[in-house]
Amino acid sequence: MPIKKIVSEFFGNEDARRLDWRIQRGGYEAARKALRTMSPEQVIEEVTTSNLRGLGGAGFPTGRKWSFIPKDTDKPKYLTVNADEAEPGTFKDRYILEWDPHRLIEGVIICCYAVGIHKAYVYIRGEYVRPYERLQQAVDEAYEAGILGPKVLGEDFSLDLYVHRGAGAYICGEETGLLESLEGKKGWPRLKPPFPAVVGLFGCPTVINNVETLSHLPKIIENGGQWFADLGCERNGGTRLFALSGNVKKPGVYELPLGTPLRELIYEHGGGIQDDRALKAIIPGGASSAVLTADEVDISLDFDSLAKAGSMLGSGAVIAMHEGICMVKALHNIEHFFAHESCGQCTPCREGTGWVYKTLSRIVAGHGRMEDLHALRIHSRNMTGTSICALCDGAAMPLGSFVRKFEHEFEYYIKYKRSYVEARSETVSI
Amino acid sequence: MSFQFTEENEKKFADILSRYPNKRAAMLPTLHLAQEQNGFISEEIEAFVAQRLEVPIVDVREVLSFYTLYFRKPMGRHHIRLCMSIACWIRNCDEIKAYLEQKLGVPSGSVTEDGNYSWEAVPDCLGACELAPMLQFDKYFEGNLTREKIDELLDGIQNGHKS
Amino acid sequence: MATITIDGQQVSVEPGQTVIQAAEKLGIYIPRYCYHPGLSIAGSCRMCLVEIENMPKLQIACYTQAQDGMNVITQSEAVYQARQAMLEFLLINHPLDCPVCDQSGECDLQNFYMEHGRYDSRFIENKIKRKKAFPIGPHVLLDQERCILCTRCVRFTDEISKTHELGCFNRGNRSVIDLYPGKRLENLYSGNVVDICPVGALTEREFRFKCRVWYLRSEESICNGCARGCNINIHFNSTRTYKAGGRRVQRIKPRYNPHVNEWWISDVGRFGFEFIDQNRIEFPYRREENELQNSDWESALDQAAQELQEAYEDDPASIGVILSPQLSNEDLYLAKKLFIDALQLPNIALENPWEKRGIEDDFLLKADRNPNTRGAHEIGIKGSAREILEKAAKGEIRFLYIFWHDFNAPEAREALAKVPFIVFQGVNWNSTAERASLVLPGATHAEKDGTFTNFEGRIQRFKQAFVPLEEARADTEILKQLAAKLGHPVSYLDPETIFIEWQGIGYDEIDEYGMMVGSAPALQA
Repeated sequence: MPIKKIVSEFFGNEDARRLDWRIQRGGYEAARKALRTMSPEQVIEEVTTSNLRGLGGAGFPTGRKWSFIPKDTDKPKYLTVNADEAEPGTFKDRYILEWDPHRLIEGVIICCYAVGIHKAYVYIRGEYVRPYERLQQAVDEAYEAGILGPKVLGEDFSLDLYVHRGAGAYICGEETGLLESLEGKKGWPRLKPPFPAVVGLFGCPTVINNVETLSHLPKIIENGGQWFADLGCERNGGTRLFALSGNVKKPGVYELPLGTPLRELIYEHGGGIQDDRALKAIIPGGASSAVLTADEVDISLDFDSLAKAGSMLGSGAVIAMHEGICMVKALHNIEHFFAHESCGQCTPCREGTGWVYKTLSRIVAGHGRMEDLHALRIHSRNMTGTSICALCDGAAMPLGSFVRKFEHEFEYYIKYKRSYVEARSETVSI
Repeated sequence: MSFQFTEENEKKFADILSRYPNKRAAMLPTLHLAQEQNGFISEEIEAFVAQRLEVPIVDVREVLSFYTLYFRKPMGRHHIRLCMSIACWIRNCDEIKAYLEQKLGVPSGSVTEDGNYSWEAVPDCLGACELAPMLQFDKYFEGNLTREKIDELLDGIQNGHKS
Repeated sequence: MATITIDGQQVSVEPGQTVIQAAEKLGIYIPRYCYHPGLSIAGSCRMCLVEIENMPKLQIACYTQAQDGMNVITQSEAVYQARQAMLEFLLINHPLDCPVCDQSGECDLQNFYMEHGRYDSRFIENKIKRKKAFPIGPHVLLDQERCILCTRCVRFTDEISKTHELGCFNRGNRSVIDLYPGKRLENLYSGNVVDICPVGALTEREFRFKCRVWYLRSEESICNGCARGCNINIHFNSTRTYKAGGRRVQRIKPRYNPHVNEWWISDVGRFGFEFIDQNRIEFPYRREENELQNSDWESALDQAAQELQEAYEDDPASIGVILSPQLSNEDLYLAKKLFIDALQLPNIALENPWEKRGIEDDFLLKADRNPNTRGAHEIGIKGSAREILEKAAKGEIRFLYIFWHDFNAPEAREALAKVPFIVFQGVNWNSTAERASLVLPGATHAEKDGTFTNFEGRIQRFKQAFVPLEEARADTEILKQLAAKLGHPVSYLDPETIFIEWQGIGYDEIDEYGMMVGSAPALQA
């Protein structure tokens, strides 16, 4: 069955960055359609019908998010595009920024028109230097062609778009951490409520959307919300980019409908497991998601099914691990990341991530104790639902799921002071 | 002698300021611009930025100490960031790290003696997991690393770099 | 107004009030570190997590606004577990400094730990090492290892003193609070960060290692450092005289008054208590053969009365009385009764014209470094001593009664040298006392009851914390006995009796935050 390519239509095509080429292939047609023939409310309605959900990690219905912006406010409204892609395993937004930046800009125009926003900032992670250059070039081209500026596409609608580089902090992908960073401060997430839709950037109503989420808008406007919804599954509309990596033969970005079985992504599109070894574990939605065992590989890749299974679709970053990967060391690597990225503001995250990392380091070094496992489970509980933002929960979920689902590996490592996988590889010939 | 923007950078700075309703919001882009010009952020530059953005100097240092991309001391002519995050770890970045350390002769977080390279092995995912194991060389991503590729990269640097 | 239920009890709250504030109204104390009513809300310590019906996660009480119909539970298994968890997290990198830490005994980590501690630590990793016990200013030391990163001090320097010396640097568990290199915590309110630090990370140099807090007793008083009249608690040690060289007052802490100083006090007031225990005039002294000799009260007061009587019979205008705005309202009222009403002396003054005015700012400090200038004016005592001293220089003054002042300026000293008999009544030795003919030891405001009236006319009460040092006596007592010897006895039992005559109400009827002049119900009648 041919897979619908919406945002990845021009991936791999060097010409797609050029405005003239892009316009010839329908670039900005949808934006024009929205501006000329639809009211802002109609645009929001289409997006709501489409069941488009936030593709940065939280999966919040996009149309509903937009509707939280107060209609009658005399404050300026802002859009911030979250291009701070830093969830381990995620690299899909980078493709959009590098191959098809005009699609993003078009999505930005549609969103801003729908909500009544005239100033948008793209917050792009500092490490993405070349994608930043390409995006900035596209923005410059757009301004020159009158696509951005006082009269967008010649219509009576003004929109300014600025690209703002981050400086190396995963927490700035958190909505309010992003806002703080944009305002020139440390990326310390804010207390909520109020939510950004009411009090956001510079205290004004703000929409924050992921790069990919916005990049789906042109096709939604072109073909209608229902068309998009039908591509996916119930309450999870359309397709999305999956970033597949780890022990697969063909790591890369794959655009697939919401509801695709995980097995299909790994074996059909990803080419199966490296060296044809047995699959052991899959991280389905970036490092913050709960790990799945190989028996769970038939799960449907949509927000609701994964939530029901105790994990999450998250950023669409699927990382496959085969039998040769030590689960203890894998968790150690993941918790190192969270300890490094914790902003330090609140107690459970600041101290919890550090403590978990130290404990795992000790276990990996061969000095674990039986009590450590029990303690790790308690830390996972104490770090869930007690912090200011979801980074702490994001550290707690892999912690709890790895220890629970691969308990035997942890027990082995502690008892015998070495990795089960290593020990096994000496006894079992591959 | 105190730090000043070049004439061209003053223009860029004015453009940066015009994008935000207040000066503080220009903090990150201003620091990037200063680092581009100076190679790293010195204490002088901290004072300069604090003065130009009209913020207390302690706020500038808070920002500098929080983010990882601002250099606080001179780095090598080229800076390498080796990704050590989960997807790259699964694909044996540990070996690449050991090789880099051997080849460059200095541990992660240092500058080589000849000043050509500075490097760090970072736990942050750099967003190129399909190329695992990978590193960032200045502004470019180099992936599917092997010892040979590292040799090619470091030894071939004289000829400039492919995009 | 909204009504919420906390632990089964109902309370009504103003719009915008938080659950933690509503709980306080009911007398329910929710443990917290980062929350302080005088600072912005950080919500980062997570210690005040409580259960709220119909909300899936625990919520922080310091930030959640009380909504009508809300049902809050602060005592439950989930809440207890959360508090225990947060405490455990805070303690893993906290050094075991209790035996050497000044905060011991008033430390919120200790206090909450007694309720919620795990007792057996399960942390066996290495604790993070940071900078220990280094001065960050003239009065404050910082110990980064003890710091729990509640950021109260950073918010204080941002929002209250607005001097921005402190910042919170780095990320994660590498976070530290520190000065910007090269800066010092030198603002005039630096001591307040020690009050608000819930643990022993910020400590006072002046108090360091001086006395364990459980040996301290506290008394409510008013600062005498300037005309603001910040409300304070005097913390003193009266039972262990071997501590800190026998000094009684160990430290001053601000007391909350929403109309005067809120939660704060300047360093001038906070650290200006040395005079209470040092350089005191401990006995009456009489000058014999040009040297001051120890005397007793009876003969000292007899001599004072006799000299004054003689000068009075000769010419009342040859007497000068220079009172002081350091004296309480009661002292001054009694002085007026005697010197102005009874004796009708013409030369009465209050202020030292050479006295240096201090820095005044838009926060607490007033340039007038005396606590009761307004009080003196209200009672009818005012004026500079310059005229009297000019008369003295011309030899027209034969008896001078000086309270507290140090007339150190050369022209003042010259003038004083021409006065045959000078009585000095005060608490500390100074150049004027040393040249007096008779020295009478008075009491500091820590050693007597009384009131001061601050610059805006607020009458505030201070309470006696301990008895006057050695032979010193309350100034009302001295004046009472002098009045009797002069043939004008007064009927006051104690300072309160004087206050009742002056204002028509007793001390207990003064509002807890002071009362404005003219507002006493009796006077208004």
